[in-house]
Amino acid sequence: MTARPAARPTPPAVGYWIGFTVVGILLVAAPLVLPPFWQRFATEILVWGLLAMSSDILIGYTGMVSFGHSAFFGLGMYGAAAALLTVTPPSLWLAVLYGLVAAGGAAVFVAYFATRLRDIYFAISTLVFSQIFYVIIFTWTEVTGGENGLTFSQPRLAIPGLWSDRFTPATFHWFVLGMVVVSYLLVRRITQSPFGMVLQSIRENEPRTRAIGYHVERYKIVAVMLSGLFAGLAGVLYAIQNKFAAPDFVFFVVSGEVVIFNVMGGMGTLVGPFAGAAFFLLLREGLSRFFTEYYLIPVGIIFTLMVMFVPQGLLGFLRRRLNP
Amino acid sequence: MTERWQDEPWAKDMWWSGKTTRRTFLGLGTAAAGAVGATMLVPAPWRAAFGQARPYKVGVLQPLSGTAAAGGKTALVGTQMAVDRINRSGGLNGRPIELVIADYESKPDVGRRKAEKLVLEDKVDIAEGGYLSNVCLACMPVFEEHRTVWMIGVCLDTTITTTKCSRFVFRPFDYAPAQAVAISPYLVEKMGKKWHIAFLDYAWGQSTRDAYIEQIKKNGGEIVGTTGIPLGTADMAPFVSKISGSFDGIFGIFFGANAVNFTSAIYDLGLTKKYKFAGDGAIAESTHLPALGQKIEGFVGINRYVPVLDPPLNTPHHRKFFDQAVAALKQIDPSGPLPDRYVQSNFEAMNFLKLGIQRSGFRGREDTMKLIEALEGMEVKEGDDFPQGDKTLRKEDHQAFLREFIFTIQNNKHKIVEVVSKEKTVVPPACKFV
Repeated sequence: MTARPAARPTPPAVGYWIGFTVVGILLVAAPLVLPPFWQRFATEILVWGLLAMSSDILIGYTGMVSFGHSAFFGLGMYGAAAALLTVTPPSLWLAVLYGLVAAGGAAVFVAYFATRLRDIYFAISTLVFSQIFYVIIFTWTEVTGGENGLTFSQPRLAIPGLWSDRFTPATFHWFVLGMVVVSYLLVRRITQSPFGMVLQSIRENEPRTRAIGYHVERYKIVAVMLSGLFAGLAGVLYAIQNKFAAPDFVFFVVSGEVVIFNVMGGMGTLVGPFAGAAFFLLLREGLSRFFTEYYLIPVGIIFTLMVMFVPQGLLGFLRRRLNP
Repeated sequence: MTERWQDEPWAKDMWWSGKTTRRTFLGLGTAAAGAVGATMLVPAPWRAAFGQARPYKVGVLQPLSGTAAAGGKTALVGTQMAVDRINRSGGLNGRPIELVIADYESKPDVGRRKAEKLVLEDKVDIAEGGYLSNVCLACMPVFEEHRTVWMIGVCLDTTITTTKCSRFVFRPFDYAPAQAVAISPYLVEKMGKKWHIAFLDYAWGQSTRDAYIEQIKKNGGEIVGTTGIPLGTADMAPFVSKISGSFDGIFGIFFGANAVNFTSAIYDLGLTKKYKFAGDGAIAESTHLPALGQKIEGFVGINRYVPVLDPPLNTPHHRKFFDQAVAALKQIDPSGPLPDRYVQSNFEAMNFLKLGIQRSGFRGREDTMKLIEALEGMEVKEGDDFPQGDKTLRKEDHQAFLREFIFTIQNNKHKIVEVVSKEKTVVPPACKFV
């Protein structure tokens, strides 16, 4: 019996790239055609989508459900806030750097301990770590501003030493879009690399991956770090857009929402979490206008129906419809 | 027995047969959408009275869901009472007021988005409300950026009118430094010189603690210790049991369920018998009294508003406000709670806006600076618009100064023991408008 050659990853369909380009063009054009509120909303969707995508590295590709992403997101915000409040004049790139260092540092710390655990125990340990960060930020008022958080001014969009200009809502949207596209392509490349294949192998069968000879813990640690870095980047962008950092973003509820974005959009797809974030945020915004404080009831019903009837998420559903 | 329960004989009589055809689904969906649409088309009550006059659009930010929902709903009652009264009496400059209410879910990110929606999409002329300080601080830059006046209704954080003050934001009620100035002489002279402060260990509790430490010392008193208790601690006994030593009284800085838990804990450990018990008025809000019963007896607190009709609150203005507020609150809570300071401050916040609009000839957001100038330094007198009493909205920091009530709890009811005039609550401004 001859061994079957390993299946090479199939190149993405032309349709995929056409879809990618069309969505990209629509997002580029968004600030030019949308009213100001929806323009800002579109930018916010991109940021939450980036956070959800970062969590997809763990949930969708490594099979580890994290409830600690609020900590990475929040620390990215506070890292950016630290740069913007302590360095004069405020520097955009330093804010990004500080945010990534804060989120990355926390991710290393969490990963070192949490990756020794599996399944529900991993999820609980990430939740516990995020709550520890929350309590520290909430009570250390002198440094973090406590419950009130920190407010700061928006840095200028600058190429150091060459050019700088104030952000407008449109330029900020394009800046975020650029960051998101680069992040997406980077994560896509990572998940399709041999490293990404090992992560998927861990998801499918961890004991077998270990038996083959891979150091599973190291791969998991790197996965958590990568995920934490992109979550931190989302936090930095959110902080710069809104000009404040608050402990509420470190609270585990944000992590729960990120898991919902993944489930709604489709786990293990990278693009799905963006679709999930957009769907959830638009649904919440739309329904809250009609039902005010009772909007969570229809949101909950829709979410339950989706889990029951579209468990593979919006993207998975679309895939099935397009490729019957 | 059939394979599907829907095919069982007993299931045939049920209203849902287990089959939802596309036609049924579309029919029901259209009917539901039609019902929602119809409610949107029903004209607001003021439309008939004002014809085609363009209303003043007032954006109201409140937490109607989430952790602060109960307080947000109560606060909204005050705003609606004031607006109903204004519209019934002919509106402002012949124009009615239309409220655009936004629920910010007790979250700062949602608050900020809703604030943006109010100014960008709903194009409100002015804004009112705000309950949680962190949300107020997150939303302030939005109103500043879009040059819209925001009359805050509840947020207490000191920095709103000090280090983070804004030309576009006003606070028409008191704050911790003014309360500390008002009650500290009473604490030191009439209750005792040595105090232990217990506080909620987060931004509001910490800044309030600092204000009381400063003022008690300034009046010749002494702080022998402080105990911080994390927000949301259900069992406070482990923290409270460490409070001991030689001092005269415990001063508590708590609100909501935390206040109930703290009071219960110190009563159960016998501390209220050993020491005098005073604190922020939020500890003894009328909604807490039934739950606390005997445990809160003898407590001395300070508040801008207490729900009593005793002097000096035995005025016809206050009686009218009190009766209307009780009736309005009963609609959202059948147990019929008494009005609290949230109802009062939102009611008066709207009336400050009313006076500002009348005096400045404000037409819309293009006249924002005129409205700000009219509000800055505004002096108002006790009356139907301001049943709590006279007030000054200071020009330098947009902070109001008003009389404070030092009260005690007797037979589970508030009893005013001293009234501190607004002049005696003044602290120097600490704000520089950009």
